[in-house]
Amino acid sequence: MAGLLDKLLKIDRRWIFFFVALSVTVPILVPLGLPISTTSATQMAFDFVEALEPGDVVLLSFDYGPSSAPENDPMAEGFMRHCLSRDLRVVVCVLYPLGALGLANNVVARIGHEFPNKVYGTDYVNLGYKDGDRAVMRRMGESIADAFPTDVNGRPIADLPIFHGIRSIRQIKVVFTAATGLIGEWWITLVHAQFGTPVIIGPTAVSAPKYYAYISSGQLAGMLGGMKGAAEYEQLIAKKYPDLGNYYKRTRLFTAVKGMDAQTAIHFVIIVFILIGNVAFFASRLRQGRS
Amino acid sequence: MGDLFGTWLAALLTLAAFSFLYKDNPIFRFAESLFAGVSLGYYVGIVFDQTLKPNLFEPLKTNFGLNWDLMLAGVLGALLYVRYVPRIGWVARYGLAVYVAYYIGVEFTQKIQGEVMPQLARTIRPLNQWSLDSVGAFFTSPSLVSLLAIVGTYSVLVYFFFSKEHGRIMRPISRLGIWFLMISFGAAFGFTVMGRVALLIGRLNFLILDWIYPTLGI
Repeated sequence: MAGLLDKLLKIDRRWIFFFVALSVTVPILVPLGLPISTTSATQMAFDFVEALEPGDVVLLSFDYGPSSAPENDPMAEGFMRHCLSRDLRVVVCVLYPLGALGLANNVVARIGHEFPNKVYGTDYVNLGYKDGDRAVMRRMGESIADAFPTDVNGRPIADLPIFHGIRSIRQIKVVFTAATGLIGEWWITLVHAQFGTPVIIGPTAVSAPKYYAYISSGQLAGMLGGMKGAAEYEQLIAKKYPDLGNYYKRTRLFTAVKGMDAQTAIHFVIIVFILIGNVAFFASRLRQGRS
Repeated sequence: MGDLFGTWLAALLTLAAFSFLYKDNPIFRFAESLFAGVSLGYYVGIVFDQTLKPNLFEPLKTNFGLNWDLMLAGVLGALLYVRYVPRIGWVARYGLAVYVAYYIGVEFTQKIQGEVMPQLARTIRPLNQWSLDSVGAFFTSPSLVSLLAIVGTYSVLVYFFFSKEHGRIMRPISRLGIWFLMISFGAAFGFTVMGRVALLIGRLNFLILDWIYPTLGI
């Protein structure tokens, strides 16, 4: 017994890496379909979008880079799919400098392809990247055309039907920011505070705890916290819109729901190792005390 | 062809990064240095192409008379780099002073108006808002939540109050503050683990679904 305890306390950390890798790989190869409960913050976001009228204009801001894409991509994609399924018009913009424009272009192209009846420029548009984060937000409060004179292809936005009747961020029904870092927070503390536009945030899990205060204070219309929040949102839209449900079932692309199987498996492994470590530690201390 | 090459390159570099988990090695060092170099190069390129070019160089070139004031911002920015010349390094402080003052001004009003006041207003509630329909509803009562916020905030502040020795009254309050801090750190740490694990899932998904499966024709 004593030998086993010593071995457990001196276990090579590479065994832990091995089990963690295994617990991610197996659910990817064989999806487990574990249940995911919906948190109130995600439900709020979903209900808010559901309450909008067809034809309303929403803004989807890509405020993250490739380093957090596994968490933020499914959120941005889920939100855009939801909006287009509800016949809302989606304006996409990018405020994060490092690689976000490429991600936004990919998502807009992929989802535009999934909704062939939606017309670019009328139902959705990609404004591309603009440097200056807070300065851009402030300017959008006065005039979107001043901040983004053209779309990502260089077409003047005054020529795009999607902007008919839309002058500033005040006319946008909700801003969804898929965010890493501080840009997401600025949408709340600047755009919502100064112009009153409702904001839904999709932060990385690392930043999610701080946004609960904004939900409690009524400054956020909802939040998708990390991959878990994205998975909850995917589940909600798949349930409400059968076409999207079928798509999420069929696609071989990465989805947050699939990712949550691996999350659960890894957490199980981590908990087991924490228990083993604690049991071995306290048992060895007890043994030392006796001797 | 370009996609295939990109996928193979990304997959091999991912494996090179993962090789550190076994032990430090030259392949990992190469991937690490390549990543740092490419990231920095990309950032410099983005700043030049998306910030300096459209906001400074092009306006000055197209209409100097109308945009000459941009020179002031440009010079202040350039002054930051004077610190690399030790003899006149002090001049960099002027650029830095304006930079810091600008952000204090912006941040101050934004924090007060967008964060402090709305959150303070929502915390100050009457103490008669209790939900007694069920146990779950009771624990989400607005008054209980506000009371918890007040007790938590003040007990944590007491923990960090070092000007007075923690005696019979202060000690239990500061210990309560430690509990609030630990629960908050635990929640933050749990979310952080979830976030980092999500990145690992993303990488392994890429290796399996975008690299191995297509390579094997699955």
